[in-house]
Amino acid sequence: MSTNNLISAAKKEGRAALDELAGKQLLASFGVSVPKSVIAKDEATVANAIAGMQPPFAVKVMSPEILHKSDSGGVKIGLKNADELAQAITTMAAAPQIKNARIDGWLIEEMAPAGQEVVVGAVRDPNFGPLVMVGLGGIFVEILADVAFRICPITRLDAAEMLDELKGVALLNGARGRAPASREAIIDVLLKIGGENGLLMQHADDFTEADINPLIVSANGAVAVDARFVLA
Amino acid sequence: MKAIVERFNPLFKPKTVAVVGASTKGAALPNVFIRRIRELGFTGAIYPIHPSAPEIDGLKAYRSLADTPEPIDYTFIAIAGAQIPPLLAAAKGRVRFAQVISSGFGEVDEGRDLQQQLVDAARAGGMRLLGPNCLGIYSPRGHLTFTEIGPRPAGSVGVVSQSGGLGTDIVRRGLNRGIKFSGLVTVGNCADIGPSDMLEYYFADPDTKVIGMYIETARDARRIFEILRAEKARKPVVLLKGGRTKLGLAAAVSHTGSLAGDDRAWIALSRQTGCILAESLDEFIDTLLIFQTLTPRPDKPTERVVLFGNGGGASVLATDTYARLGLEVAPFAADTIAALAELNLPPGTSITNPVDCPVGTLQQDDGRVAEKIVDIIYGIGKPEALVMHLNMAPFVGRSKPEVLDNVVLAAMRVQSKFPGLAHFLLVLRSDGDEQIEARKREFRAKAVELGIPVFDEIGNAGYALKALRSHERFVQSRRG
Repeated sequence: MSTNNLISAAKKEGRAALDELAGKQLLASFGVSVPKSVIAKDEATVANAIAGMQPPFAVKVMSPEILHKSDSGGVKIGLKNADELAQAITTMAAAPQIKNARIDGWLIEEMAPAGQEVVVGAVRDPNFGPLVMVGLGGIFVEILADVAFRICPITRLDAAEMLDELKGVALLNGARGRAPASREAIIDVLLKIGGENGLLMQHADDFTEADINPLIVSANGAVAVDARFVLA
Repeated sequence: MKAIVERFNPLFKPKTVAVVGASTKGAALPNVFIRRIRELGFTGAIYPIHPSAPEIDGLKAYRSLADTPEPIDYTFIAIAGAQIPPLLAAAKGRVRFAQVISSGFGEVDEGRDLQQQLVDAARAGGMRLLGPNCLGIYSPRGHLTFTEIGPRPAGSVGVVSQSGGLGTDIVRRGLNRGIKFSGLVTVGNCADIGPSDMLEYYFADPDTKVIGMYIETARDARRIFEILRAEKARKPVVLLKGGRTKLGLAAAVSHTGSLAGDDRAWIALSRQTGCILAESLDEFIDTLLIFQTLTPRPDKPTERVVLFGNGGGASVLATDTYARLGLEVAPFAADTIAALAELNLPPGTSITNPVDCPVGTLQQDDGRVAEKIVDIIYGIGKPEALVMHLNMAPFVGRSKPEVLDNVVLAAMRVQSKFPGLAHFLLVLRSDGDEQIEARKREFRAKAVELGIPVFDEIGNAGYALKALRSHERFVQSRRG
């Protein structure tokens, strides 16, 4: 499905946001790495669905009625095989906030290699148009608001300066015993999202907000593990 | 680029001016406008527009904008809002620019329709519109002014202000600080011409070297971004943004009546286009002044700063302030210290950096010692910037008047003796005493003539220097 079709299909269905799979397809079409994934309808189809995929797996509920998947008990990670996946789905399907919701299926993904959690976001400013944001994941974004914004389109130098603006930038170099994270990989993602021909410039009027949270960044690359695009 | 300059020439250098709202009694704002532009040397035709009077302030009056002998370059309008759309619509393409001073348009809910009528009428009449809800234009090149000032030479600082009152402050305070303008346009509600149009013009205008903008609500923010992005800080742009905090924003909405951008977007704008975001009116003026007087040096951005003057505590506090601004006031190397030591300055003098010389030291040789110190700082210390600060009060009563004269003279000679070697900034500190203020004004006028920026406090000079460095670094980083 083309990116425009992804968006118009979601709008036609009256969705407030792209579902996670559509969001990741959109990212992938702009060259952002996303985990290899498959959708299973139910427990019984898991084994066939994951043929050829590498554990460990994460499984997430797909439902337009559930906005915060982890808070609702709709995410399980670190699963090693089809049995564990099936059991996880059974447990999640019984969770109070899930059992009465409309379920589109279960998104099974290969888990990204460990790395630094980064957030790449976007917001549409009524006067300036799309802005792109970057921050380090977890408390850095949520508690310390250690983020940098730029107006789209950004250049490679702008993207590098965004990272240098973060107070926690030293963590990317592997401070405090953490593995170093690739600056270039983050800069590449920022350009694919906010650059001259990036996602936000081509879809300036389609979204009011977007989040890639987390983008898992290792020494060799960056993978968008979760993505949310709020439709305009 | 030339096209836009030609398009705006009738606004900045009008040959014919029409005035709407002047009364036969000579007391209304438009009457004052006529008097002020005559005082400023406007020699073109002035056409008062009046429904009945044959003559106003000794000038023949006309019934309509379409009736004047020559087409009109600039029209100044201050009459009741509802009367303006029919006036403009009847102009028959004979007016280039109309500036509407009157308020009661888009800045209030009940005036939104009227503002749309105003825009439609301006279009029908074939003119570009400034305002409404503004104060006018100050253009010394064209002998136009909306504020009471004597004749002043034109300069290189071009400003656009959304607020008329703040525009007045910028002109008057700026002139007193030695800023010379290529123009200052107040645009109020920006019903037609907005800050981005003026930004584009000032970039193209060969007379303008520095651009200042006061913005509250910018519907044309995207265009401002695109112009700044394309120009890559070719001319320094200083931006004062009102409504950056939530409380300030509420005030901005009630003031001009539209939604404002977000603070983080303006910070982003500054980071990626190199424009300077000033935090206050004082900083705005200080920054315009430093860019008017000093030439940025992107090849060698300002890092090391020398402070030299009298006032030990003041230099210590200033060193702290500069450190917080990221400006390095580091001790001299051994060769500079050795050269200064050879001057055998009295005890109590500090010859590292900051160079702290009590009045007793500066009195030596009737103040000529200052020049020797400056020579060593420049010749051997070679900093990127020298901030010379003089607390004037301690000189009074302790030394002959020529001591201070000679110290200041040393400062005045720096530019010509060491051209392009380091940025030179002068700080004249006064305690507000009348006599001292008078001498400060006199010194300041002379210094600015020589291209030396003069600041009231050492800290203010630091903020301006930081802006200069930020511009230098940006230009350096964006070079192909």
